Amino acid sequence: MENSLLISGRYKVIGWIIVILSACLGIATLYWGFKIPGFALPIKESPFSFADYNLTNEFAFGGLVIGLMMIVFAKEKIEDEYISLLRLKCLQWSVLISFGILIILNFVFYGTALFIFLFYNMFTVPLIFIIKFNFSLYLLRREREIDEK
Amino acid sequence: MKNSLRVQRAIMNITQAELAEKIQVSRQTINTIESGKYVPSTVLALKMARVFGVPVGEIFSLEEGD
Repeated sequence: MENSLLISGRYKVIGWIIVILSACLGIATLYWGFKIPGFALPIKESPFSFADYNLTNEFAFGGLVIGLMMIVFAKEKIEDEYISLLRLKCLQWSVLISFGILIILNFVFYGTALFIFLFYNMFTVPLIFIIKFNFSLYLLRREREIDEK
Repeated sequence: MKNSLRVQRAIMNITQAELAEKIQVSRQTINTIESGKYVPSTVLALKMARVFGVPVGEIFSLEEGD
């Protein structure tokens, strides 16, 4: 049973590198207003325009999403049916937790704050999946080692 | 469902790792099957039966309540 959505395992390393670089860039642009000089749409900024034509934040966000997707969809060394089941379970967990957070946010925040937290919450599905999946794999490995002794 | 995987392995004198390699799954998967935590697919069950040279029914059998 081949899962055609998965990509080669080496994308996991590439994904992590992209995520770390994009996260650093994202934090720099979000909190310190860092912008890559000249990395902008070729539109002349006028004093009347409110739009931000610099692409640094879009670039950081895109990198973060693509990197996380690479990690999530990278194959394990031995990708068998039990790993597939584990993937499904972890995905169910992450979706459940993400929507749980959504419900809490809905009652706790409103307006701009809600919008900002919704934006952050978009990353909980891949993040919780990565944490849960790797933790499950770790537990499995440990159980096997105990069993072998 | 219970299984006699451990017994079959002992008869053939192969380790979990060797069995895993023969049917191309991870050692963890063999371990979860042996401990009864995971019920393998028919394909995997048939592959195991082929390795041990016995019918599938001899490795896996139903329990009361299944």
